[in-house]
Amino acid sequence: MNEAVPPQRRKSRGRLNTISGTRTNDQKTQSQYQPYKDAAWGFINHWYPALFSHEMPEDHVEGIQICGIPIVLRRVDGRIHALKDQCVHRGVRLSAKPMCFNKQTISCWYHGFTYDLQTGGLTTIVGNPDDKLIGTTGITTYPVQEIAGMIFVFVREDAFPDEDVPPLAEDLPVRFPQNSERFPHPLWPPGPGLLDENAMVLGMHRTGDCNWRIACENGFDNAHILVHQDNTIVQAMNWVLPLGIRPASDDCITLIEDENGPKGLMQWLFTDRWEPVLENKELGAKVEGLNGRFYRTSVVLPGVLMVENWPEEHIVQYEWYVPITDDTYEYWEVLVKVCPTEEERQKFKYRYERVFKPLCLHGFNDCDLYAREAMHEFYADGTGWDDEQLVATDVSPITWRKVASRYNRGIAPPGKGVDGATKSSSIRLRRIAAGDAPGYLVKKIED
Amino acid sequence: MSAACLVSLRFADGVEQRVDVAAGHGVLEAALAAGAPVLNQCRSGSCGSCMARLVGGDARMRPGVASSLLPSEQAQGQRLLCLTEAVSDCAFEFAYDSRAGAGGPAKASAFIDTIERIAPDAVRLKLELAEGDWIDFRPGQFVELTVPGTDARRRYSMASSPAALPVIELLVRLLPGGVMSDYLRDRARVDDVIALTGPYGGFFLRDKVKAPHIMIAGGTGLAPMMSMLDAIRARPGARPNVLLSFGCATPEGLFNLDELDLRSHWMPGLATRISVDSGAAGAAWRIGNPVAAITADDARDPASVAYLCGPPGMVRAAREHLEGLGLDPANIHAEQFVASE
Repeated sequence: MNEAVPPQRRKSRGRLNTISGTRTNDQKTQSQYQPYKDAAWGFINHWYPALFSHEMPEDHVEGIQICGIPIVLRRVDGRIHALKDQCVHRGVRLSAKPMCFNKQTISCWYHGFTYDLQTGGLTTIVGNPDDKLIGTTGITTYPVQEIAGMIFVFVREDAFPDEDVPPLAEDLPVRFPQNSERFPHPLWPPGPGLLDENAMVLGMHRTGDCNWRIACENGFDNAHILVHQDNTIVQAMNWVLPLGIRPASDDCITLIEDENGPKGLMQWLFTDRWEPVLENKELGAKVEGLNGRFYRTSVVLPGVLMVENWPEEHIVQYEWYVPITDDTYEYWEVLVKVCPTEEERQKFKYRYERVFKPLCLHGFNDCDLYAREAMHEFYADGTGWDDEQLVATDVSPITWRKVASRYNRGIAPPGKGVDGATKSSSIRLRRIAAGDAPGYLVKKIED
Repeated sequence: MSAACLVSLRFADGVEQRVDVAAGHGVLEAALAAGAPVLNQCRSGSCGSCMARLVGGDARMRPGVASSLLPSEQAQGQRLLCLTEAVSDCAFEFAYDSRAGAGGPAKASAFIDTIERIAPDAVRLKLELAEGDWIDFRPGQFVELTVPGTDARRRYSMASSPAALPVIELLVRLLPGGVMSDYLRDRARVDDVIALTGPYGGFFLRDKVKAPHIMIAGGTGLAPMMSMLDAIRARPGARPNVLLSFGCATPEGLFNLDELDLRSHWMPGLATRISVDSGAAGAAWRIGNPVAAITADDARDPASVAYLCGPPGMVRAAREHLEGLGLDPANIHAEQFVASE
């Protein structure tokens, strides 16, 4: 402290919240989900899908980014290794120009810093093998699990201990028929799950341009059914959707908070706890001959949607909204079906390519994608979370925000020294000018 | 006669430093002169910051000097190094690692953001460190404020966690005729500048402890617990279960109940118990004291750790109570505050 200079107020000051107490999400409710409001870069210390297995053939190296953390993946002898994709030396992404001298290590292509794939330890430097730094430092490794053609990575803080890493099942939706008594489903057979024997997964992932929370809340928001009225799959199947679905009792949602299990919520759709709205007299809008598609949505941390009985019986749709930065997310949409025989696998694949992919994952879900992006600017600077005017049907997102605030394993800090941390970096601008939008995979160096 | 004694200082992270202490000289003085990272503050036997455990050799507290160390603590080998002289070559162990005391306290200016009366005798004071100023601290530690317009200094534990910096929140107990109390009641205004130094104190949240945490707080002794709760909530990895027992004299004197409700919502592993010594019964509190609110059932895990903060009588009673329930004395961390006018 210099006595000659009087103390100055800090130049960047916090913003004061002014929230009306009459709102559905009043000040007190908002406080309960403050941790969720803080999680612009995602919840860290959770399992996220990284890539499909077929995207990682033997010896392939790929770079991705989740929750602002750059991650490099390499497959060796069938096994996937995941490490922080940022050399300790000068911060270069190892995946930008993969260099591997053997099956045990990955080297930085710039100055040759070489890391052990198992431990992340700095084992040597190509052109400086006697340096004192060797053996004293390294990069964080991330636990990996590969299941049903999907590669999951436990995205963690550097200090998160190995022994505390939970099983993948704690970050996946509840399973059936194990939970059929607890969450009965008289209108459809028990749905399959990713961890089931012979589970077959077909789907895609692509980058969406909005905050991951906006994307996630869309999936189980029952009031948004309106945007799907004109979708081809709805018309082709002669499904008639109500104008909206309103909560009809205070037990319309059940929290999922089992010890050592997933944490989230289940919605009792197509029971008397939710009421379809068939008419709006004011507007002269009326729905007749309701031929609904029975389905049910639930969501668990870190933001995994499950749509049971969708798009047809014995199939379940999972979605993830994996935060890349605070304004981009990797949108995963997969369909799961148990297919014990090759014939069933072929049939599922054919139907996926001809019907589900074009009409559901694209057609129907494309609608959700643009609806989320339409909300983004309102929330992008943080003010939307204070200024939104929620209503009774928003019980679903509000409950999700609270349960996520309680059970998340950590709030990802804003990305530092990574793609998207600086929105107007020259490289980013150059790529955008070249028609190359910010995305999920590392931009590999071509030479 | 004898020359210097060789004193070995062992920190929790395995770092060991040896210093020569001349006969008749204080261990703390010699340790600081040699640059050893020993936490300290008052250097007069009251604050307890420089406490360490004698694990070898002989060293004695200066006779006839009043200290806040309990006879039972001394019997367990605890010493306040500011009052301790080495009798032979000896060794001390510290409950904190060598980085905790490195760097030492910093000076800073802070602006008042808000002054909020949260109970008839308690104020929540939110400060923001001035541009360019910074004070790093560990949850549980305290700072020393110079009361504006006076030379008086007062110590308060942070109620906010280091993650909230540059904002610092303090809980101040108002005393009749107290220098800080008078300032806050009569003169303090938003944007006033307060000079502070810190951090101080060996009472802070130990890292990486997964055993259940028992916290007992009396009155504004709740402040360091709030800081620790917020730090535990942000900890990477499995988080310990926490039982917080908080007590005030009367229902009217209670504060921070909404804040505790929020933490209870955010932290599945947190349980709170609120007590008042006397007054009307309420749904949110029981009649009794916060020490007795902890039962044998709460201390079933012998590895449980405890954090205590409140008036000396409460801290003493809590320590005895918890030791009686089977807690290891080494796992009981305490900070007592003494009211000053």
